[in-house]
Amino acid sequence: MATPSRSLADDIRGRSDAQLIDLVLARPDLARPAPADLTSLAARAGTRASIQRAVEALDRGHLQVLEALVVAGDAADRADLLRLLGSHDASTVDSLVEDLWRSALVWRGADGHHVVRTVPEVLGTSVAGLGAPMRELRPSAPAEHSSQEHVAAVIAEAPDDARAMLERMTWGPAFGVLPTATPGRTTARWLLEHHLLVPVSADRVALPREVGLVLRDGRLHRAPELTPPVVEVRTVSLVDAAAGGAASECLTHLDELTAAWGAEPPRVLRAGGLSVRDLRLAQTALDLDPEHTAFVVELAYAAGLVADDGEVVPVWAPTSEIDDWSSSEAGHRWATLALAWLASTRAPHLVGRRSTGTGPANALGPDVQWPAIRGIRREVLRELASLELGRAPAPDSLRERLAWRRPNRSAGVLDEAVDAVLREAEWLGVTGRGALSQAGRVLVPAPVPGTGAAPAGADTEPDAPSLLDRAAAAMSPHLPSPVDHILVQADLTAVAPGPLVGGLGSFMRLAADVESRGGATVYRFTPESVRRALDAGWTAADFIETVRRSSRTPLPQPLEYLVSDVARRHGQTRIGGAAAYVRSDDESVLDTMLASRELAPLRLRRLAPTVLVSSADPRVLVDLLRDSGFAPVHEGQDGAVVHAEAPRRRAGARRRGPGPAVSPVDRAYTQTLVDGLRAAEATADQRRAEDESRPGPRIQAMDPVVTLSLLRDAVADRHGVWIGYSDGHGATSRHLIHPQRVEGGRVRATDESGHEKSFSVHRIVGATLES
Amino acid sequence: MNDGPLIVQSDKTLLLEVEHPRAEEARRAIAPFAELERAPEHVHTYRITPLGLWNARAAGHDAEQVVDALMTFSRYAVPHALLVDVADTMDRYGRLTLEKEGFADSEEGTRLVLRTTDRPVLEEVLRHKKIKPLTGERIDDLAVTVHPSERGTLKQELLKVGWPAEDLAGYVDGEAHPIDLQQDGWHLRPYQQHAVDGFWHGGSGVVVLPCGAGKTLVGAGAMAAAKATTLILVTNTVSARQWKDELLRRTTLTEDEIGEYSGARKEIRPVTIATYQVLTTKRKGAYAHLDLLDARDWGLVVYDEVHLLPAPIFRMTADLQARRRLGLTATLVREDGREADVFSLIGPKRFDAPWKDIEAQGYIAPADCVEVRVTLPEGQRMAYAVSEPDERYRLASCTDAKLGVIEKLAAKHVGEPTLVIGQYLDQLHEVAERLGADVITGETSVKERQRLYDAFRTGEISTLVVSKVANFSIDLPEASVAIQISGTFGSRQEEAQRLGRVLRPKGDGRTAHFYTIVSRDTVDADFAAHRQRFLAEQGYAYRIVDADDL
Repeated sequence: MATPSRSLADDIRGRSDAQLIDLVLARPDLARPAPADLTSLAARAGTRASIQRAVEALDRGHLQVLEALVVAGDAADRADLLRLLGSHDASTVDSLVEDLWRSALVWRGADGHHVVRTVPEVLGTSVAGLGAPMRELRPSAPAEHSSQEHVAAVIAEAPDDARAMLERMTWGPAFGVLPTATPGRTTARWLLEHHLLVPVSADRVALPREVGLVLRDGRLHRAPELTPPVVEVRTVSLVDAAAGGAASECLTHLDELTAAWGAEPPRVLRAGGLSVRDLRLAQTALDLDPEHTAFVVELAYAAGLVADDGEVVPVWAPTSEIDDWSSSEAGHRWATLALAWLASTRAPHLVGRRSTGTGPANALGPDVQWPAIRGIRREVLRELASLELGRAPAPDSLRERLAWRRPNRSAGVLDEAVDAVLREAEWLGVTGRGALSQAGRVLVPAPVPGTGAAPAGADTEPDAPSLLDRAAAAMSPHLPSPVDHILVQADLTAVAPGPLVGGLGSFMRLAADVESRGGATVYRFTPESVRRALDAGWTAADFIETVRRSSRTPLPQPLEYLVSDVARRHGQTRIGGAAAYVRSDDESVLDTMLASRELAPLRLRRLAPTVLVSSADPRVLVDLLRDSGFAPVHEGQDGAVVHAEAPRRRAGARRRGPGPAVSPVDRAYTQTLVDGLRAAEATADQRRAEDESRPGPRIQAMDPVVTLSLLRDAVADRHGVWIGYSDGHGATSRHLIHPQRVEGGRVRATDESGHEKSFSVHRIVGATLES
Repeated sequence: MNDGPLIVQSDKTLLLEVEHPRAEEARRAIAPFAELERAPEHVHTYRITPLGLWNARAAGHDAEQVVDALMTFSRYAVPHALLVDVADTMDRYGRLTLEKEGFADSEEGTRLVLRTTDRPVLEEVLRHKKIKPLTGERIDDLAVTVHPSERGTLKQELLKVGWPAEDLAGYVDGEAHPIDLQQDGWHLRPYQQHAVDGFWHGGSGVVVLPCGAGKTLVGAGAMAAAKATTLILVTNTVSARQWKDELLRRTTLTEDEIGEYSGARKEIRPVTIATYQVLTTKRKGAYAHLDLLDARDWGLVVYDEVHLLPAPIFRMTADLQARRRLGLTATLVREDGREADVFSLIGPKRFDAPWKDIEAQGYIAPADCVEVRVTLPEGQRMAYAVSEPDERYRLASCTDAKLGVIEKLAAKHVGEPTLVIGQYLDQLHEVAERLGADVITGETSVKERQRLYDAFRTGEISTLVVSKVANFSIDLPEASVAIQISGTFGSRQEEAQRLGRVLRPKGDGRTAHFYTIVSRDTVDADFAAHRQRFLAEQGYAYRIVDADDL
């Protein structure tokens, strides 16, 4: 460095372009809005808000060094630092200090390193659990009370119970409440008298920093943790196959969920979200545990596949995007989900948790929103990506490492979130058997090497379409290939030995009940499921033909019998009209109905040998007749059977704008920014040089009130005045004027050339009398 | 991707594609730890349960073998969670062991000890309210004494909390008594010998064999291995007589050595056959015949039809833990869900052979199952529609429409030994009258029953009409046609038993016929569907025909 800096601003002005770029990349908040020049960049780097952000982003290693620098005081030498840290690894400490300097938490003066003034404020009074220094606690205390030798000597003489009390406070908190009972009180009094504790209020005492350090043997932390803990791994095989299996199952779950909600959409709660009951219904339908169900539901929402339809009575319905999504290739379908998951700010693991004051959080509700989860998700994936292929981390060591990376986060919350992310990644197929899959690797930007500060550039949205394609391409080969056949058996089950191709899949979901899921799907044909298909307009012949065509095995005779049996009864009776009627060619059926005690409330009356009527609503009639074991169908105005189309509700697509268009703080942007700063700096230097070369005194900016009084004096004394005057573009020029009058916020005066002119007072930056 | 025959589902079922070239290999690999749940023609379903995994552990398999079998044969990747679960579950077996310590001739004698290799497990189970009182003084960190009388109850409770104990405490030899098989002109079939060996090496446990596969002989084989006094518990008197006949025929035992302990006779001999009913009879609130269990120093206790074992017998069995116990059954599935008690009190499964395998070996007759549907006549449909729900089954079952069909079927199989099985006595008598056959019901005396059975066996009469007394353990070797006209609602148990009636191997290798007659569009058909599902799951494809098409 050419000249030693005297301040952070000096230090920053003295940095090279590359160093400035590093600084802005490490602390992107400095770049928005773009600072005018390096001085304002330095000023912003020193603000509390920015320092706070930077400190929060530090990992434990950097934080320990920063704390050591704070405690060591200005211009501490390296030996002090190493002693405080309890480390012998000078080169590591040096590089950590260098990182702190690079992100401008520390500046270099002629005498060594200085911590930026705001840092201690941000860290608070108890740095690393130590109390405040003696001079802050008790400014009047004599210096010897805080000298290390003195303190050590006093402690050596301390009675055992006093030493025990000190030991309890050693590793923080460095505050205590004075005991009220006698033995404790006496001990505390001894400590107070010997200045090992300092009273801070009537009943509270503090352990001064100097005493704390002596108790800690001169070390700041229990153990130096300057390098990240190593993640333990185990080798697993078949990672991609496992991920593919999970991914395929995940797709099935979404298909089933959206099909179910398309037919019968659940209500949106008034406070937003899905009711516990509806979530449980989904859980039963999907045959999953509650957490997994919440994940599937939230994933469908994150991917924009379901949404609040916004009607008067709002429901959660599949969006119009579902049709595109369903019909695209499986790899793409998966990639869409995976990217949506990665970008989502919702934390499904919070569903069912009791948040303060309210009931348990509802799925799709506002309480599940937790933006921090997105960062955690990325960090977890980045850690996974840093492992070799086919290596799965031990969850404990992974949690430890993430806690090291973010020492400021509450450990419990972080651990829980990490577990949730690992679980979700497994469900989604981003990981397989605990290790990141090939497709998962595509999703994760490589970790930024080096500093502990958050790698800002990586947080920006990658180029979405191509990433989608790449992820899809990476997953596709590992997804079980769709099968176009089923195996039908005599126990009326059909086994699909893999994911079914689209058309067959929806037919089977309609015509049979799902009994078991996984790599394969087991369907069971029941009278109800067959009736469902007939209700949806299938004929018995089509039904049998479709199953026969799709089945690799000969159709068992009982299945054909079942279908024809249901079909025989299906539509046996027909009901319709405003004044509802029942008609059937089979008179005995009508006899049966008339005779049935259960149907008495319908007050059925015989109109003709083959027709009954009822005053009840046709729908009630249908329901009641079905309950009594009949299988009526609706009949339209023209006498034709009206098939109940399988209802398919769609909400409008949820508008997902491109998101706030923020250009990333990347290297190119930062380069431009720094160039701009340099240019501004050059202009400022030039202006300063021009100013100096111009005649007349320097004009200080001053308060307008002062300016006015000075002008009035000048008018009275007929004195010349130098004013700084800013023009319409903000440029300040200097004029020597002789004021005539001051009124209405304006000054009439003659300028250097003798012309009379009018100057607005609010544009006068400052004034000084002509000497 | 592996092209294996097995698909592992997320609900822990395993689907095995039967036609796959490696299907048999896969079946052998998974059979030790997975229960066969359904075996229809193309895809068999096995289920992995904790009991199944522990059975496998008891048989000496470890988690690695299980995981390896799954990974080797699975077509798709096996969910990681399932593998972890398998390993965890299997790891729970054997952490606790029941052992006998000390020497019989030492002063204190022997004591029973619950020992663990893992202290937290012992601490955990000792904190359970129901387990703590069963244990005695603490020996050290890893062991605690157990009163010998609580051996069974303790095992039961430990299983309930998911830490099954391995019982290594051994058995008393019991009073020795010479018993040998008399293999003149016959031999134990290979699978029967395997079953005997499996049981004997395991010490105690259950042998699962389909009806008609010769479970009695496995019992006899076990007795020959034990060579000790034996108590045999059976379901009813008829069954007791058959056991006796079979033992006389197949072993060196003589008439004098075998006693019957039933409602009618109370003999206690070196081999005693008792009915569940007499054991569970209560007089003045107490079990009247409990003494039987201690009447002799039994070396072996045989339980016939374990899946029907009544609850009080379980309680009594809990006190018999020092004796060797052999359970015989066609299925481990109990409709009351007490499989866990069977596991902890009688013992783990020691041998299992799927129905179809034994049929394939020619030891059970193949069967042709047909459901005949009849339509209720007009008048009865009306009566059915307006009847109370609890009468409907009876109405539908006993329709006159069935009579004609029974006659037609009987005519079709004239001369073949035919059983007509039903639930309702009126209907049975009516059928018997029409067919000119004899009826056996609960009211028929044992003597009369024996006479009719003998006549049926010799071919003197070819048709018998029987009520549900015939459900259990009657041995009619040559029945080749069964016509079921009504049943106990949808009992799958009953269906298996009835099918078993016609599955005894036929001298001439004829196909057995199993007819079920049901009334269309009634609850009868619904119940029939349940039972048929069971048949289909056992691999018996069935057909449905209209009565008019017969």
